[in-house]
Amino acid sequence: MFDATDSAASGSTPGVQAPRVGVFVCHCGGNISDVVDVKRVAEEAARMPDVVFTTTHMFHCSDPGQALIEQKIREHALTRVVVAACSPTLHQITFRRAVERAGLNQYLFEHVNIREHVSWVIEDKEAATAKASRLVRAAVNRARLLVPLDKRRIPIHPAALVIGGGVAGLMAARDLGDRGMKVTLIENRPFLGGRMAQLWNVFPTNEEARPLLSNLVRDVVKHPLITILTGAHVVNSEGVVGDFKTKIKIDARGVDERLTYPGNAIAACPEETISEFDFALSRRKAIYMPYPGCFPPIPAIDWHTCTKCGKCVAAVGGKGINLDAKSRELTLHSGVIILATGYDPYEPLLGEYGYGIFPKVITLQQLHRMLDPEGPTAGALPFDSNTPVRIGFLHCVGARQIDGVNAPQPDGKVKDYCARTCCTAAMHAAVALRERFPKSHITSFYQDMRTYGRGHEEYYEQASQQGVLFVRYSPWHPPRVDKDRTGKWPVVVRTNDLLTDGLPIEVPLDLLVLATGVVPHDISELVTMYSCAVGYDSFLLEVHPKLRPVELAVSGVFLAGCCQGPMDITEACSAASAAASKAAAMISQGQVEMDPFIASVDEEVCTGCQTCLTVCPYDAIVRDEARGLAIVSEALCTGCGTCAAACPSSAIQQAGFNDRQVRAEIDVLLGV
Amino acid sequence: MADIRDRYDALVIGGGIAGMQAALDLGEQGFEVLLVERTPSIGGVMVGLNKVFPTLDCSSCICTPRMAESAHHPRIRLQTYTEVRRVDAVGTGFRVELDCKPRYLDEEACIGCDECELACPIEVPHEFDDGLGARRAIYIPHGNAIPQKAVLDVEHCIFCGKCERVCPTNCLDFTAQSRTVHVDVGAVIVATGFDILPMGAKPEYGGRLPNVMSPMAMERIQSSNGPYGRVLRPADGKIPRSIAYIQCAGSRDRSIGVPYCSRVCCMYALKQALLLRHYIHDVDVTLYYMDIRAFGKGYEQFYRRAVAEGVKVVKGKVARVTEAENFDLLLRVELLDEGGRVDEHRYDLVVLSQGLIPAWHADGIIDIEEDADGFVHTPEIKLNPSFTTMPGVFVGGVAAGPKDIPDAIVEAGEAAMAAANYLKRFRWRSRTPAAAVAV
Repeated sequence: MFDATDSAASGSTPGVQAPRVGVFVCHCGGNISDVVDVKRVAEEAARMPDVVFTTTHMFHCSDPGQALIEQKIREHALTRVVVAACSPTLHQITFRRAVERAGLNQYLFEHVNIREHVSWVIEDKEAATAKASRLVRAAVNRARLLVPLDKRRIPIHPAALVIGGGVAGLMAARDLGDRGMKVTLIENRPFLGGRMAQLWNVFPTNEEARPLLSNLVRDVVKHPLITILTGAHVVNSEGVVGDFKTKIKIDARGVDERLTYPGNAIAACPEETISEFDFALSRRKAIYMPYPGCFPPIPAIDWHTCTKCGKCVAAVGGKGINLDAKSRELTLHSGVIILATGYDPYEPLLGEYGYGIFPKVITLQQLHRMLDPEGPTAGALPFDSNTPVRIGFLHCVGARQIDGVNAPQPDGKVKDYCARTCCTAAMHAAVALRERFPKSHITSFYQDMRTYGRGHEEYYEQASQQGVLFVRYSPWHPPRVDKDRTGKWPVVVRTNDLLTDGLPIEVPLDLLVLATGVVPHDISELVTMYSCAVGYDSFLLEVHPKLRPVELAVSGVFLAGCCQGPMDITEACSAASAAASKAAAMISQGQVEMDPFIASVDEEVCTGCQTCLTVCPYDAIVRDEARGLAIVSEALCTGCGTCAAACPSSAIQQAGFNDRQVRAEIDVLLGV
Repeated sequence: MADIRDRYDALVIGGGIAGMQAALDLGEQGFEVLLVERTPSIGGVMVGLNKVFPTLDCSSCICTPRMAESAHHPRIRLQTYTEVRRVDAVGTGFRVELDCKPRYLDEEACIGCDECELACPIEVPHEFDDGLGARRAIYIPHGNAIPQKAVLDVEHCIFCGKCERVCPTNCLDFTAQSRTVHVDVGAVIVATGFDILPMGAKPEYGGRLPNVMSPMAMERIQSSNGPYGRVLRPADGKIPRSIAYIQCAGSRDRSIGVPYCSRVCCMYALKQALLLRHYIHDVDVTLYYMDIRAFGKGYEQFYRRAVAEGVKVVKGKVARVTEAENFDLLLRVELLDEGGRVDEHRYDLVVLSQGLIPAWHADGIIDIEEDADGFVHTPEIKLNPSFTTMPGVFVGGVAAGPKDIPDAIVEAGEAAMAAANYLKRFRWRSRTPAAAVAV
């Protein structure tokens, strides 16, 4: 298809004006220039055909750096611009905008990464400079063949889908609703409120969690623009930003609003199972409500436990309960999606610090359920308020783990990250326990006390003043939890206290509370569906922690709350509102601009072999049966290039990456 | 640049990373924003930082594009070198009084050519380099400043007229006066940021000694566009071979009125220490800490990496820092993990990991409450962390308490969302049709 001369510049064709290429090499404030001789890179690029201007700059991404590019485009009538700098994920957009401001089509710009691909990974200066130079020259050769392209503009369906009905999801929905946008909020459990509903009291305001949450739930529920679907699971997702089509399955609840006396139905149910809401501290019926005041305010039926015996139906005279209710499916259209799928508390492995072996070893979440006046023990701990009860808090359970010291998790990894919230949560609980049991002896086994937030340090101070004893253990030698040989105490914690010169100590306890970490709620299906990036810590990975902290790499999908990493309620709400803000911006603009790098079929050349249909991962190519040709759907094409590479007759070309352009680049890279 | 209009949707006070983010979020949603910054350039503290944890991206690479975006945004009006003098609630909106300080030159005419700066005979310690480098009495704040316009520092100017003679656009005006401007806005975002605690706050740490350094000075020294171009100690230009960091030097300390955790010092110290290990072969860097608070995403892993790459961390309470001969420093410390043994160490350089204090107070300007710590009070901290005690006034970034860059950026987004919904609820319209809210 292409002869050897074809990879040379189109500009060399007589009668066609030669491109005028400008090359800008960035120092990146030393990030690049400490290793790469940027001046030499520029000089060598200058010797390439059609290059009419080269320069270097300390920070090309800065305003003066961008202004320089604009100025030189005008001054030298440049028609192609090559910038060699950091990764295009960071600043391709920055430079494209600068190029456009100078009146040039933004796709006549080529970005070369000589930081992540060169200076950060090659120590040898000579080798780094040689590689950088070759990459830049290859880009120049490619740039000579670039053609102006127009952005694709996709209209945005003015509605948002929020996945997750915890505090972050509720907050994002409320913000978008208030902003005048249609929102569908889906929650896969039968009730809203997420993890926050399970807390008894929250720091730093010492407010009860559920009244706070109820206000938010009420705002969302009564909002005319927000639709709430509980028991809803995402089954399938199609489409791209602007027009996501999400198929969801809604579990049969089995109960509707006509059920006026849910208590009677629940009391009649003979089937019991452990209560997830109470972290197995209590049992609930197959027809159940997790707590008074939950939303929706009607019970749900747990079909795994229900035997359809019909006693509940009989108890309420058949009104409002339907044991033959079926799940249903529906498809939701939305322009954007906000993921607020939340976290699970770390569940200690069996025997980890005595958990699951000693009944008096509980998690901090379980303690919260116990302290809750509406909880399984009606707020009572199994102690007399006058006894000098001994309580321990063990920090960093399932957090800050060390490979080789802590047992690996089922996925083979250890939880090596800090779970952020547990230090303050433990101190907050310790202070509350001291107040309730003034004669108690409380010991905190910790590594570093991370009470970092506003009003958090106060709990640490209060705990110290109230006589909480602090024992610092080494992460390399975690404490051991054993039974007491004398039989007098339920458990004994043995460790070496670093604060007293590593002295071995033994602390007998009536109750050991494990301040457990935070792990992402399992959303592996959503991860596959939306091609989400996931970090080593298994949390969803934002595009960039500072530039785009609440966005996924998939355009139009945003992150809110603990699906991204451990956060306290304040931080999760901030993240949710920030995500709502980005989503609102996208919706209010009415359309989203997309790169024009899509595939197109040359109908003259296409043989209709259908190879492309089988390789396209997005079902973006269909066969025109009448003409026996492949046709690309522009809306669905993501520009991945697979079809272009697979097409045996080179009938498919991808805009911005056609064969000639790619070959021109490869030729220089290979030194042809 | 067109002159300032008399009506905008929102006023953002502070042009640091949080203020810029809030302004951009509002601008992207279709609102007209007035972004007011009291120094001659936007960019805040972040633009002066070297690299940022935990990714070690260069700070400028993140910050300067945000600056450029704010400057080029069609719905954001930058107003630098301007103080907000008063904000009064009027109906659901606000009447704002601005004090636009004179640069002593015609801002429109100045082309940022630097000629005046080169001609000026006066040298002054440069704030941007934490006083380590020098600037002239007329100067462009720094290479990445926006706008790239000169400003005349009238305190130090001797009115010799040399700048005026070399200026190619003849833009100097020694008689310029500050200007009072009134603007109506529908909502206000406070993003006024922080200062580092003064070096003398804890005299026993020797903050006034030449080789006892602030973390900002260390940032500047490490920066490629910093005052020395490499890491040297200020007193004698020697390459430091041993460096101590004193953590919580003015945080978590009631004795100096900063009882709170400043939240970023553990991480910036670890980051600087790790980079020092890269910049100076085999340098001894030791952090003396109370607790290492590496709580953010990827931070614990960064902490481990720093230790693996040779940064020493010692749980210890530093009692005092004194000067030995040759400007070296003697550090007396109680080693808490060694039974409280008291030890003395000699270092070439000491960095005080100073805490953060508010850079601005609302007192007399806006009737919002502050907490005892001086940061803006946020009465609904759990669910609406950007709400202040005044409806329509929101807070983002460090103005609402110490936080790192990602947290400040996220919170600024939240403040913008809250302001957007406030504007929507009360149907505020800035005057021009172009400013009409899209939804």
